[in-house]
Amino acid sequence: MSEPLLVLDNVAKNYGAIQALRGISFSIGRGEVVALLGDNGAGKSTLVKIIAGGLEPTSGRMLFEGKEFLARSPAEAKAAGIETVYQDLSLCTNVDVVANFFMGREITRKVLGVPVLDERAMEAVVGKALANAGTRIPSLRTKVEHLSGGQRQAIELNRFVHWGGKLVLLDEPFAALGVEQTRRGLDMIRQVARQGIGVVIITHIMQQAFQVADRIVVIRQGVVAGDVARNKTSPDAVINMITGETLAGAGPAG
Amino acid sequence: MNPRTRHSLELVLDNLVWFMLVFVLAVFSMFIPNFFQLGIFANIVEASSVLGVMSIGLALVIIAGHMDLSVESVAALSAMAVGIMFCSSGIGLGVQLHPDWLMVPVSLAIALAVGAIIGVINGLLIVRLKMSAFIITLASYIWVRGLVLVISGGRSAQDLAPAIRWFGIQRLAGLPLTAWIAVACFVIFSLILAKTPFGRHLVMIGGNETATFRAGIRVNRNLIVAFVLAGAIAGLAGWLLAIRTSGATANLGVGLLFNAFAAVVIGGVSLKGGVGTLPGVYAGVLLLSAINTAINLMGLPANFTQVIHGLLVLAAVLLDAFKQTIRQKLA
Repeated sequence: MSEPLLVLDNVAKNYGAIQALRGISFSIGRGEVVALLGDNGAGKSTLVKIIAGGLEPTSGRMLFEGKEFLARSPAEAKAAGIETVYQDLSLCTNVDVVANFFMGREITRKVLGVPVLDERAMEAVVGKALANAGTRIPSLRTKVEHLSGGQRQAIELNRFVHWGGKLVLLDEPFAALGVEQTRRGLDMIRQVARQGIGVVIITHIMQQAFQVADRIVVIRQGVVAGDVARNKTSPDAVINMITGETLAGAGPAG
Repeated sequence: MNPRTRHSLELVLDNLVWFMLVFVLAVFSMFIPNFFQLGIFANIVEASSVLGVMSIGLALVIIAGHMDLSVESVAALSAMAVGIMFCSSGIGLGVQLHPDWLMVPVSLAIALAVGAIIGVINGLLIVRLKMSAFIITLASYIWVRGLVLVISGGRSAQDLAPAIRWFGIQRLAGLPLTAWIAVACFVIFSLILAKTPFGRHLVMIGGNETATFRAGIRVNRNLIVAFVLAGAIAGLAGWLLAIRTSGATANLGVGLLFNAFAAVVIGGVSLKGGVGTLPGVYAGVLLLSAINTAINLMGLPANFTQVIHGLLVLAAVLLDAFKQTIRQKLA
């Protein structure tokens, strides 16, 4: 693999006297799927927010495509090519499917020099994107508040597949999904990675991590407790890393 | 239910307040003698121009999920600023500009600027200090009205320059130009809210501010712009108010805020944010104005107006809840 897509170098975050992250270092390659595991409160979501521009780190640095990188807002991270799917859904339920799909990136045309929403063009794009992904939603003009939890999550997943970018961060994306939809979601992640996009997925479900990830990174108490290729480890070993019974890479105690 | 009935039912629900307006006008026309004539309808539109303009700004910030209680006081301050500059008696300085028409853009610019400045202050405090818009603008509502009292010393300015008054006198198709200004504002801001990315972003911010922030929309900037617009529009309402009363008094426009709230709520805007359209708000404004006119025509004591307005707001809120249940059945 050539140079990594994103390198985290000793990234730390303090909230007052509390150290949420005590210095995280790992890297993500292009087209690589990294599963980020860890117990509740280990600092996974904090880390994702730092990469996605929602929080600023207290210290440490990041390299994105070999260059020094720090997103001060989600808009900056997006401009650099980093897409994020959060565990609580990021949809505006008071507007329709099309508006949500294009949130902040609306297609416009100029009328007398004023940008005006090009609804028809946007609807065509959304229709195509959802059809490609096999997601069925009765009307793209339905307000999202009238859609089911599964349909909502499908919109959000299709949104990141469509916009792609260079790196995708998924914070427990399958929390509201059924078995079949989860399987389809995992397929989507592999499909995205095949396009050369780096993927970081946070999950609590060991089985999902082993199904989809190339590499597994475990965070415990704000530091990386393990960073292993999926085919060189086992669920039991990972659980030990999460709970802290063994050190990273250490063989069986003895 | 076949798609067509469903479609028409949704159309009715989306424009319910317009149907109510037509219904109320029809009932008044049938039962109140002398109601059904063009002059009365023109009067309804004319009498609603100040309230209408003010409601636009209020509706914008409420749709964006916030609140602006200061619009009434801002309008009064703008009116007083214009009054002091361009009135010739009372506390008016009677500033003269040549040619005369120059006073129109200058007075308008003053009114808009006064409103925009208060809007900037409101917006910055709310966004930067992350404080409740309700409290910040309640404070503005009080201190801006206080400022009106301070600069006027409690006295009034009369006899606004005729060049400015012209807007209240000159008629086009039976309506004074001031009424046309209100109508034009509704058309322009309805288009902005429904058809531009800025308008779409305001609606989405009102729906889920976190989601829009994560999506990379510059939420803070949009909100500040919304508050500046609300302030500037309130300034315009003040300018119209000064023209209408040919001057300004220290208690000008007192009570307009609650009428504006009533119009906005009756017009179908949810105080939770994210829901509502400006054409609906205009229908709400016209509905209130129609009821006022009917009360006048019937010779009822004007004190009844307030009771009826209050009941109307209650009815609007109940109707909104009813609409929600129907919509849920439709979905």
